Amino acid sequence: MRPFIYIHPQNEKEAFTAALATENSKYLGGGTNLLDLMKEDVERPSQLVEIADLNFNKISEHESGGYTIGAMLSNADTANHQKIRENYPLLSMAMLSAATAQIRNMATNGGNLLQRTRCPYFFETSMPCNKREPGTGCGALNGMNSQHAIFGWNEKCIAVNPSDMCVALAALDAKVLVQKPEGDSRTIDFKNFHRLPEDKPELDNSLEPNELITAIELPEPMFSDHYDYLKIRERSSYAFALISVAAGLQIKDGSIAKAGLAMGGVAHKPWKLTASEEFLTGKKPTSENFKKAAELAMKDARPLSDNSYKIEIGIKAIERALTQAFERKA
Amino acid sequence: MGIGNAIDRVEGHLKVTGKAKYSSEFQIENKVYAQAITSTIAKGEIISVDTSEAEKQKGVLAIITYKNAEKLKTSDKKLPVLDVDSIQPVLQSPNIHYYGEYIGLVVAETFEQAQYAARLVKFEYKKETPKINFKNHREDAYRPKEESDYSRGNVEEGLAEADVKLEMTYNTPIEHHHPMELHAIIATWENGKVKAYASQQMIDNAAKTIAKTFQISKENVRVISPYVGGGFGSKLAAKQHVILAIMAAKKVGRPIQLTVTRNQMFTNTNLRQYNEQKMRIGAKKNGTLTALSHETLSHTSTYEEFQESCGAVTKMLYKVPNNLVTHRLVPTNLQTPFAMRAPGEATGSFALECAMDELAWKLKMDPIDFRIKNDTQTDLSNDKPFSSRLLKECLRIGAEKFGWKERNMEPATKTNGNWLIGYGVSGASRGAPYQKTSSKVILERKNQTVYATIQMDATDIGTGSYTIIAQTASEYLKIPVEQINVELGDSLFPVTPGSGGSWGAASFANGARMACLNAIKELKKKLNVGENEEISVEKLLTDNKLDKFEAEGTAEPSEEFEKHSVYSFGANFCEVWVDKDTGMYRIKKMVNVGACGKILNPKTSFGQIIGGLTMGAGMALAEQTRVEPNFGNFITRSFADYHVPVNLDMANIEVIFLPEEDKIANAMGVKGVGELGITSVAASIANAIFNATGKRMRDLPITPEKLIMAKKEIGVA
Ligand SMILES: Cc1cc2nc3c(=O)[nH]c(=O)nc-3n(C[C@H](O)[C@H](O)[C@H](O)COP(=O)(O)OP(=O)(O)OC[C@H]3O[C@@H](n4cnc5c(N)ncnc54)[C@H](O)[C@@H]3O)c2cc1C
Ligand code: SF4
Repeated sequence: MRPFIYIHPQNEKEAFTAALATENSKYLGGGTNLLDLMKEDVERPSQLVEIADLNFNKISEHESGGYTIGAMLSNADTANHQKIRENYPLLSMAMLSAATAQIRNMATNGGNLLQRTRCPYFFETSMPCNKREPGTGCGALNGMNSQHAIFGWNEKCIAVNPSDMCVALAALDAKVLVQKPEGDSRTIDFKNFHRLPEDKPELDNSLEPNELITAIELPEPMFSDHYDYLKIRERSSYAFALISVAAGLQIKDGSIAKAGLAMGGVAHKPWKLTASEEFLTGKKPTSENFKKAAELAMKDARPLSDNSYKIEIGIKAIERALTQAFERKA
Repeated sequence: MGIGNAIDRVEGHLKVTGKAKYSSEFQIENKVYAQAITSTIAKGEIISVDTSEAEKQKGVLAIITYKNAEKLKTSDKKLPVLDVDSIQPVLQSPNIHYYGEYIGLVVAETFEQAQYAARLVKFEYKKETPKINFKNHREDAYRPKEESDYSRGNVEEGLAEADVKLEMTYNTPIEHHHPMELHAIIATWENGKVKAYASQQMIDNAAKTIAKTFQISKENVRVISPYVGGGFGSKLAAKQHVILAIMAAKKVGRPIQLTVTRNQMFTNTNLRQYNEQKMRIGAKKNGTLTALSHETLSHTSTYEEFQESCGAVTKMLYKVPNNLVTHRLVPTNLQTPFAMRAPGEATGSFALECAMDELAWKLKMDPIDFRIKNDTQTDLSNDKPFSSRLLKECLRIGAEKFGWKERNMEPATKTNGNWLIGYGVSGASRGAPYQKTSSKVILERKNQTVYATIQMDATDIGTGSYTIIAQTASEYLKIPVEQINVELGDSLFPVTPGSGGSWGAASFANGARMACLNAIKELKKKLNVGENEEISVEKLLTDNKLDKFEAEGTAEPSEEFEKHSVYSFGANFCEVWVDKDTGMYRIKKMVNVGACGKILNPKTSFGQIIGGLTMGAGMALAEQTRVEPNFGNFITRSFADYHVPVNLDMANIEVIFLPEEDKIANAMGVKGVGELGITSVAASIANAIFNATGKRMRDLPITPEKLIMAKKEIGVA
């Protein structure tokens, strides 16, 4: 590892002061992604600001009926929290499908939002990669890309966002709360939080330098009866998704009053299936409608040389997730 | 007491309390750390090295590259054969043969300093176009040695005679051993003498490699390896890091600790190569095999040769008059492959046992009946009788235990919700070699109690050597296991073949037995007592007025052994549930039956088999090292992407050992179990997947993406 400064502030003010004082500073959550990447020489921060002790580690209900989840809370404590299990079981299920118990104990919610792609070219500093070193080219484009995107990619970058938690958050229309070092805070809609590669594949999201994520905001409890997180992977645990589907249904009088649908492992950001959600709204929860919603979702998919299987499995997976969501309590 | 009992590991408490010391855990005074640097191109030449930045760093003691490395013994052959005691020259030229080859070493006071400085050494290369995928260079294929080919009868004629036949190609990917314990060494060089705490499976061979590479006498090399955290073949031989560390110790004059990183274990401690295996097989309508041909194409490196004998099993497992086996290699810009658990059998039996299943289905015959129909008690490859062979019994008893009669012959007909359920079987064989082994016993009498110490340079690579050696000594000295102390893994002790090739248990146990029997014999002789007289060691020592007595013994294969083919046999049954839409599957149940001679300790043997089955399941399910086609590096670089099975993937496993007495194998009738477990598991899983889905999966690993994209076999309803 390269030498770096390590700061352990006791409050936000100290954290921000430290961050502003040193160029190329990074916040340290659980370190399960950042430290790995530093050991690989991919991330080279000159300073780490530990944020574990800042006061953003609670889950609270607000007047509107929604919940705020602290950014420094661990993935394990969030997923296993009674209120989250009751009110947002889709989120809980997605989070528990990720990584291992040990990693979930260390990983924080803020860090999970910012975890970087698992593209093998990104991890290996001798390979070309526009995300790691803008302008060097995308090694995966004409290389090995079976695990890469089928939506929203361009020739600059075809990587996918690896998070399971974020797929559920996209289906749930969450918001991200952010604080600037200068003191202002802002709220970012989840669909605008992560970005597509466009002409800046090095940027995964819309955070500004040194902005601190303080919380995730969830709207009023949703899909607590009909939900499913389906993760297709090469082994039954401790593997990233080849693709995944988060599906939530609100059923009223035998019809779908609201649908939440998103996919993981298919794009540079958690891929919200807006057209399918709209299609399902007001329809009957039949297998035929689920199938149509799935086909609609995959209509504009653009496979790469090695990943057309993602379309094949994707359609089936969406259908299955919707069916399992519906049948869960029906 | 004694052999055959399922006692706990005698060294177990040392391991769970952290007292068992692995190579890099020895506290050696004045020790410093080294970090190796590896190449980032697959072929070419280093044209410049800049160490200036690295040298300036705090703590840095030495930087070694080809420019200042000491001259070592090198081979004058173009492709010297890589063996367990070959020389391991390193940093001898600016030439690069593959991505990840060692090109330098940094030594510093601390591990962190060495690591950081290693990153600052700059290399410039002249790149050449590497040969990465052997399939694009078939024209370079060559026959490594005469014995690479074998034939009896005439396969073409046999195929012409057949009523039913097929020709299929099976692929197994590059795999890595990845024992839990990283390869590591602490080396000292003092007054021309080498001392190496190194994680090795074979002590004597490691010492030979070191001696030959530095051109010093083997007497000046001491290798110590009391505990080894797994090897699977990767630690059979001393690898280049061993030489690097010793070289650095000589240069710096201090003990050097060098650990191969997990990432470097992909590139610097060998691999199991990709095998393309073409099978041709034919039979009469009644199931009698008429022809069997097994042609393997794989790769070696451009600087060494290694051939895995995938076809070996096809020569001897079934009764077939017409048989052809060939092996060809293509030199590529990847590191040299080397033996990995059940070399030849694990990969070869995947092809053979899938082909047998395919033909059985075409014959509309039960695959168990088909195998039994072609069973033989003679090894047709050398016309020797098998010393014992219970393959038929393994298949029959396994079928009973497993509930094989519930299987539908027609694939894709058994379902449960979204799951497709399939059953698969495969037969297994693995040579049970046994090699010359020496051992020493030291008897000590304290009050009325006799304590014994057994010494040999054998290793315990997690297999249970300590335990079975103690049990053997207990058996022949007739004293409790608790009074026996076993000391292993030191080149000062009597020579054994080490751990590998499934010969460990048989060799170590028979070696220890001879030492114990000799001790008793010598003690009796001193007293002029008849050899057959029952008399305790305690009394023998007392009557001899001795408090301490030492004896040595050596066991080696008998003439009878040489006149027979000696193998362990087995059968694996598995039930697989495949999700019809996602291609994900679970191994629900496995029953494994083995006939492997005398079981010294059912508990450690069971551990060996379930470990083998799990590794075999990994072969089927997920294990593969992917090579980047343009750059030649491995894109699988850690356990996050090199997938081995997790608990949830794995089944309820039932392991059954059939009682078998085989005194031709060796005096104690012990055969190997270490590699039998992994053999043909992958085939049983692939066969079960066919039974579940009607899809033949001939490329390992069988991932969800491949399974979903595969088409059903022609003829499946
Ligand atoms: C082997 C392995 C397997 C895994 N498998 C899965 C999987 O199957 N599914 C899955 O979803 N994930 C998986 N993960 C990823 C894991 O979920 C992430 O590593 C984890 O969520 C990151 O959280 P962290 O707190 O450790 O982040 P860190 O590593 O501490 O930080 C990650 C990034 O976020 C920044 N950061 C952290 N907190 C804040 C904040 N509050 N404000 C601003 N910036 C911040 C850091 O500066 C850094 O850039 C796996 C990880 C590993 C190592
Ligand atoms: S896909 Fe993106 S992350 Fe991967 S190599 Fe291309 S640019 Fe880099």
